[in-house]
Amino acid sequence: MDTTLFYEQLKQILDTEEVKPENVLKDLETWDSLAILSVMAMADAQFGVVIKAEEMRSLVTVADLANLIRTKKK
Amino acid sequence: MRHLFKNKKISAIISVVPSQEYRFDDEYPLLKLTEEKAKRFKKTIGVDRHRIAPQNVCSSDLCLYGLQQLLAGGTLERKEIGALLFVSQTPDYFAPPTSNVIHGKLGLGNDVICMDINQGCAGFTLGLMQAFMLLDISGLTKVILLNGETGSKQVDRANRISYPLIGDAGSVTIVERCENVNPIYMDVKNDGSRHQAIMIPAGAYRTPATPETLKLTEVEEGVRLSQQHVRMDGAAVFNFTMEDVPLQIQDILGMSGDTIESIEYFLFHQPNAFILKQMADKMRIPHTKLPNNIVGLYGNSSSVTIPLNITHNYPEPMLRGKHRVCVCGFGVGLTWISMVMDLGPLETCKIVEYEPA
Repeated sequence: MDTTLFYEQLKQILDTEEVKPENVLKDLETWDSLAILSVMAMADAQFGVVIKAEEMRSLVTVADLANLIRTKKK
Repeated sequence: MRHLFKNKKISAIISVVPSQEYRFDDEYPLLKLTEEKAKRFKKTIGVDRHRIAPQNVCSSDLCLYGLQQLLAGGTLERKEIGALLFVSQTPDYFAPPTSNVIHGKLGLGNDVICMDINQGCAGFTLGLMQAFMLLDISGLTKVILLNGETGSKQVDRANRISYPLIGDAGSVTIVERCENVNPIYMDVKNDGSRHQAIMIPAGAYRTPATPETLKLTEVEEGVRLSQQHVRMDGAAVFNFTMEDVPLQIQDILGMSGDTIESIEYFLFHQPNAFILKQMADKMRIPHTKLPNNIVGLYGNSSSVTIPLNITHNYPEPMLRGKHRVCVCGFGVGLTWISMVMDLGPLETCKIVEYEPA
């Protein structure tokens, strides 16, 4: 997975300058239902990965999200 | 379930919207959105304005008004009405069927068939399926398919993910028999195991209405609802629109021998611009062929968005000639229905604003 692309896309979705792997998703200011859908759409469009609704709900940190996409991409 | 319908056509469509229009720019403060968040929401989801019926106006009023316009305009005669099909999730009553109520208001004869169908976003396509089947009754001249929804009554005003997107509308589609036309291809799919993805949990008989079920709770910031309001698992619905629907579109094009190039217009149900753009990109359908503007203009009126899509975006082409279209309704159920057919020339294809008697 292109990690740089992932963080670039995520920063765009969250409309923020900085995103760190340890950030807890639900504590991020712009993490709302729209962000969740945008991430799912991004994973599919950019990485060809389909993230299921239940999988989204189980994620805690940004690193969890990155790892999920990385794993599913294989 | 795949099927080919022969010798059937749509001859007219009229959509009816309330005259009361509300703008997102005026409403978002009540939704606890900052100006920043509101801008983001507007840009991504595609909301802008929507039509909301006054409290005393029901789905059936919007549909009846459309029907009266068609009768007054000469497109339809009373004696041609063989069946009234009312598709809605917001009927006048639990009993009698709303189609019977409309039958009474029009003073129609006893031999008319009246039928209500409880369906949402796939309701235009499901209604067409039923209309085509009713036309096999030999004495039946025209089926009047009525789609009506006042979804604003099922959503709380302080619900930022639902209220800005909702819209109220009604439509009337005349369906009749016809010689020398291409067959209509249809695929109907259901998955009730995911029925909780879009639902109103209380107020009918599984969980009857109580003062408790009317209580409003804020499930997340700016999202307020009661158990008698529509609730949706956005992520699960997103999976559905991106996985199941594209597969069906691929199937139906294969069945009819069409391609993305041979289809002129992809007339999809309009949940919001975001989902439609994602779906179009996934299926490699140009956005110019798959309109996504109806939510931003009128709101999401469930099964009425497809007739609104047609009457708003393509009235002139539909009045003038024949067009190869792919129609797709998807949503509550979960139900997803796709069709490939020729549409037009239509005798009527327009939107009117409801005027109370």
